[in-house]
Amino acid sequence: MPIEKSDLLQGTLDMLVLKIVTLGPIHGYGISQRLRQISREVLLVQQGSLYPALHRLEKRGWLSAEWGESENGRQAKFYKLSAKGRKQLSKEESNWNRLAGAVTRILQTAQ
Amino acid sequence: MPSWRFPFRKRALEKQFDSELRFHADELTKQYIAEGMAPDEARRRAALEFGGPEQIKEELRDVHRVPILETMLNNFKWALRLIAKSPSFSIVVILTLALGIGANSAVFSAIDAILLRPLPFPDGDQLMSLQQYNTKAKSPQTELSNLRLEDWNRINSTFQAIAGYYTESSSETSGALPEKVTEAFVTPRFLQVLGVSPALGRDFSPEEEHFGGPNAVLISDRLWRRRFAADPNALGKKLLINGYSDSIVGIMPASFGFPDRDVDIWSSVPTDAPFAQDRGSTWYVTIGRLKPTVSLAQARANLATLQAQLGKQYPKTDAELAVAIEPLKETTVGGVRSSLWMLFGSVSLLLLIACTNIVMLFLARAAQRQHEISVRFSLGAPRSAVVAQLLMEIFVLALAGALLGLIVAGGASKVFRVLAGSLPRVEEIHLDMRIVAYSLLCSVVATILCGVWPALRATRKNLSSSLAQNGRSQVSGGIPLQWLLVGTQVALAVTLLAGAGLLLRSFQALGRVSPGFEASHVLTFHVSASWGETADMAGLTQRINRTLEQLRSVPGVEAAATSGALPGVPSEFHTDLQFAEGERDREHKITAENRFVSPDYFATTQIPLVSGELCREPKFLPGPKSPGAVRLEANSINVVVNRSFADTYLPGSNIIGRHLHVLGNAFLRPEDAGEIRGIVGDAREEGLNRIPGPTVYWCLNDPSPDPYYLVRTHTEPMALAETVRKEIHDIEPARSVFDIMPLEEQLDDAFAENRLRTILLTFFAVTAVSLTCIGLFGTLSYSVTLRRREVGLRLALGALQGQIVKHFLLQGLAVTFLGCVAGWGLASASGRLLSGMLYGVSPSDVVTLSTVVLLMLLAAASAALVPAIRGSHVDPMQVLREE
Repeated sequence: MPIEKSDLLQGTLDMLVLKIVTLGPIHGYGISQRLRQISREVLLVQQGSLYPALHRLEKRGWLSAEWGESENGRQAKFYKLSAKGRKQLSKEESNWNRLAGAVTRILQTAQ
Repeated sequence: MPSWRFPFRKRALEKQFDSELRFHADELTKQYIAEGMAPDEARRRAALEFGGPEQIKEELRDVHRVPILETMLNNFKWALRLIAKSPSFSIVVILTLALGIGANSAVFSAIDAILLRPLPFPDGDQLMSLQQYNTKAKSPQTELSNLRLEDWNRINSTFQAIAGYYTESSSETSGALPEKVTEAFVTPRFLQVLGVSPALGRDFSPEEEHFGGPNAVLISDRLWRRRFAADPNALGKKLLINGYSDSIVGIMPASFGFPDRDVDIWSSVPTDAPFAQDRGSTWYVTIGRLKPTVSLAQARANLATLQAQLGKQYPKTDAELAVAIEPLKETTVGGVRSSLWMLFGSVSLLLLIACTNIVMLFLARAAQRQHEISVRFSLGAPRSAVVAQLLMEIFVLALAGALLGLIVAGGASKVFRVLAGSLPRVEEIHLDMRIVAYSLLCSVVATILCGVWPALRATRKNLSSSLAQNGRSQVSGGIPLQWLLVGTQVALAVTLLAGAGLLLRSFQALGRVSPGFEASHVLTFHVSASWGETADMAGLTQRINRTLEQLRSVPGVEAAATSGALPGVPSEFHTDLQFAEGERDREHKITAENRFVSPDYFATTQIPLVSGELCREPKFLPGPKSPGAVRLEANSINVVVNRSFADTYLPGSNIIGRHLHVLGNAFLRPEDAGEIRGIVGDAREEGLNRIPGPTVYWCLNDPSPDPYYLVRTHTEPMALAETVRKEIHDIEPARSVFDIMPLEEQLDDAFAENRLRTILLTFFAVTAVSLTCIGLFGTLSYSVTLRRREVGLRLALGALQGQIVKHFLLQGLAVTFLGCVAGWGLASASGRLLSGMLYGVSPSDVVTLSTVVLLMLLAAASAALVPAIRGSHVDPMQVLREE
């Protein structure tokens, strides 16, 4: 399935968020921290722009959300991967791998 | 871009956004502080990395926008544009639905007012009708005696109160001329049971409810306006009713009309009156109000136990009695239930036919809209969006149809009130929010019925290409779905037409019966009288005989008589009887209709004497005056029986001279017997639609003081009306003569409900057939258009135009015929619903059904002829050039 150019960044962010949420219920701040750790500060998005993405994923039913208590006892919204989200993630992962593989091959053969 | 969010959800969402975003910013700040930053610096850094919260919130709001209403609004606008673009199509759809929904809502308004709503009293469902009946003998006696009613009211534990009433026609003589008024005599607690209070003034006081207390009456709003011009000072004024002076103590609300709408005056009957101390004299129609949590079954059980106790206490009068309790609403409207539901069923079939027509219209149009729909698909619209759009278009049309239908229903319910004045509660029929809501519901149902199928079909993705091709290269009549719908319509229309046909045939049959009496040239009327007169039966009979004498002396009058009931107007008074001679065994039951007539009844109605002689009036004994029960000289009562009685109960032997006893709590004391003096021909006394059964004519005045007067005239009966009125006024100046009407008109009125349902069902059936013909016309026209090329080719190859016409015609008729076959089956299956309403024709009458099928085929043929002929007028050259 072809990926629209304008969708690329958005789609990638969505996929990364889904991937992070696989590990268990986590709030937005946690996702943002992990995103920075994993990507070693490569993906420097404004942290607030994470939230529209989270809410969109929740609305599509890929994430489910619940209010709960954070580590230091404050109310925070925790996100969890739904069954539908798990399916979507594996689809996007394989797409990404195919695309990445193809791009890598092109770059290697063009040398 | 217009935005719309649910306001109640909006605030909660905003709060969630705030706390979620603030949590993130705070955590971030905390982390920087932990890393050793100054608090101010940490906050600044965090805000910078996080981004502007307002902008983020705006993005979040975008995510949470509710698109449904927005889409619906767009669909609505789009639908309006489409409707405006094809006005003739839209008008046809709207009018069809207006007719279907309007007729449906009109009948529903009647059903709602008459059958569904509680009676117009507070907690009307607590109101019950109570009756007594004899368990040993078949006896229709259902009124109560004063003492028994008071016992029930006092001892029961399930009713708030029990009360009774009866009505009579009285004469009010305080004005210049005597005026006939309908007077209801009520026991204490009457208004309490109904839960109604006077609009002005008060209910009866305890003194007024005692024998010898002041005479007081409540009057109707109508009488108040007529006689007192709605003057509040009418309270305390006096009326002169049947010679008694009564003060007005209260004026009832305009909406109050119980026991019926004609009642002008309510007066109280004291429970301690000396004439009301006999347990055997029964005259109260009885109603009761259940306690709030009591069920009907509990009330029945309670009263059954209670009456069993009374039976032990008063074995002579109460031992054989049992109590029957029904909801008052049931006894009021139960008789018209089946008619109304039958009409509702037929009017729903009509709506179904109308919807089928619209389905066909939309199917035909969907073909033209394929292009537009495929464009929308290719632009990425999901199927659900396209279907929603198509449905919205139909819904807008259905809504317009429903609104127009409400106007139709408003007019129809007025017609209903005129045509069916005798229906119970008919004055309560009116349009209100419930009917509006019902019409809206109808339009939703119509949308689903008419819309879903065409919309789903039109949006089948692979259909677009195939259908587009079909249009151009169709060679056979391949629109099976449309033809299936036409067939369905025909079947439904045939069902309705068959129902109407059966009702019409019974109506005709009823007009043709020879009733055994001669209804023409008979004038009927009442003369006001009071139940008090029944205390002196001899005097009452003399008074009535004097009136009859006077009538006979009027020129133009051939004969005059009285009868408790009119011949041919449905009413019955069946009791068990016994021969006084031998035959004591209880197994040999004699059941017969009882009629109370004066000796001249047979001359007046021209019921012929077959053998023996006519009866004579009995001789009365002077004695204690007690109403209801008659004291007569022994062996002076005589009766005449009809042929059916003689043939059924004493075939072959001489019946004349035998004596008959009445069993049960009836109109004669057990020791009195009637001697059979003659046999007359069978007549349809109990209703023109009833085969005459065994009947006993008692030459006694009816137990009521106000029998029907029947006068046989030489000329047109109504011509004598004024003379009769004057003659009676001459000898009875204090009495009023009312309800003057020819017997034939009385018979007509008695079958008014019959006539109403026949007229309505015929109207529905004719509409259904017209709609079906329009459907057939449309479908055949469509098919003809699709097959122009084929026809052109055929003509070019030498086919005759006549052959083409025949081909199309046969196609239409074949479908119609199949529909007729299905309709025949449907009609025979549903005919049983009508069986109680039919007379002289069976529900599966072959003649009626074949006539109906023939009519349907004829109508279909004429509807198919125009498109068939048009289809054959194709210029082959032109069609071939179009390729």
